[in-house]
Amino acid sequence: MKNLLDFLARYNHWLLFIILEVASFVLLFQFNNYQGSVWFTSANAVSGKVFEISSHIEQFFALTKVNQELTQRNLQLEQQVQTLTNTLQQRASDSILLKSRQFQPLANYRLIPAKVVSNTVNRRDNFITIDKGAQDGIKKDMGVVSGNGVVGIVYLVSDHYSIILPVLNSQSNISCTIRGRGYFGYLHWTGGAIHLAYVDDIPRHAHFKLYDQVVTSGYSSVFPPGVIVGKILHVYNSSDGLSYRLNVKLSTDFANLRDVCVIDNTAMAERIRIMQAATDSIKEREE
Amino acid sequence: MNNTVTRRILLFVLLILVQVLILNHIHLFGYATPLLYVAFVLKTRRNFPRWAILLISFTLGAIIDLFSNTTGVAMGSLTLIGLIQPPLLEIFVPRDSAEDLEPSMKTLGVNKFIFFTILIVFIFCLCFFTLETFNFFNWIKWLECVGGSTVFTVVLILVLENMRKR
Repeated sequence: MKNLLDFLARYNHWLLFIILEVASFVLLFQFNNYQGSVWFTSANAVSGKVFEISSHIEQFFALTKVNQELTQRNLQLEQQVQTLTNTLQQRASDSILLKSRQFQPLANYRLIPAKVVSNTVNRRDNFITIDKGAQDGIKKDMGVVSGNGVVGIVYLVSDHYSIILPVLNSQSNISCTIRGRGYFGYLHWTGGAIHLAYVDDIPRHAHFKLYDQVVTSGYSSVFPPGVIVGKILHVYNSSDGLSYRLNVKLSTDFANLRDVCVIDNTAMAERIRIMQAATDSIKEREE
Repeated sequence: MNNTVTRRILLFVLLILVQVLILNHIHLFGYATPLLYVAFVLKTRRNFPRWAILLISFTLGAIIDLFSNTTGVAMGSLTLIGLIQPPLLEIFVPRDSAEDLEPSMKTLGVNKFIFFTILIVFIFCLCFFTLETFNFFNWIKWLECVGGSTVFTVVLILVLENMRKR
């Protein structure tokens, strides 16, 4: 026993070293599976606050660029609205019915504006931290969009901050479709260039053209249908030859991301739930 | 004594802020990121208690990890540096020098200090990027990251050291 104590006293730094290394390795390997690890990432209050201050300062210098982009986007959207209303008016005679239908799908979603406080693009698994959290009504698995297109899905949430799993992450998996064609597939990113991603599982019999727009499909409740993802640059055969693989140019500029919107779909989920409850209660009465 | 402790704590905070707010965003040629915080462990005095070095380097690594979302990576590799810094320093110190000498260009001599820095930083970058690319191994990218970051960090440390000397 005495020998053992002597040994420990002399080599205590080795013991400490082994304990610390084991601790860091446990954190390293468990982080990806450990949902409660908000404390060990930039979603915790202290680091979130520091990043928030620094991004406030950075934001100030980026304002001109952001303004330009917004103006451009605004012009583009205005033109689009103009052409679309024109075509609609030509096709439909009943304009009141038309207007009431047009705004229906958007009413189900609440948009929570948020600021990006920390962002990476140079790794294989990138994460984005935003300055809104559980207290602002953000929950896990909500969709996140920017003015230019889809960004990602909320992954971890703390009280005031949350971490987003963006498209630029090997784990990202967003259902999308080719606008106006209806065929759908899954958006993946394989590392490397930050403006290129792939859409897998497009069926072989699908008809589409290069430079067609890829948008979200709306099959899951995460994103509403029609949020822009990007446009098709190349078409490849998948490795098993059963489907097409589309090389897509992403419309979101991830390296220059400041303002994003989190899509709150609880209203829709709630509506579905209450509908369900109503049908159930009627059934009980009938029985 | 008190003065040195305060200075060390200030340096600790300053290094973290500089690393997190500025240096983490630099990716020269797409791979070279300066990891300046290793300088804090590198400059530890001779005969500083070894358990203290280990705890300090572990804490420093943990804080850096917290800010850059690389849980465990800097923690593990910086703790290793905390272990090997004292024996490595013993090799480089000249004979009959002070018991609590702080490694610098003045105390070690320019050549020895440069060599010491390169060795420590290289081992650190090697560990750091090996741990970081654990599940996605790309030889070329890994070599580029280790090489580029080592050179960048060493140059940065030497430049700062040189400025301080004057």
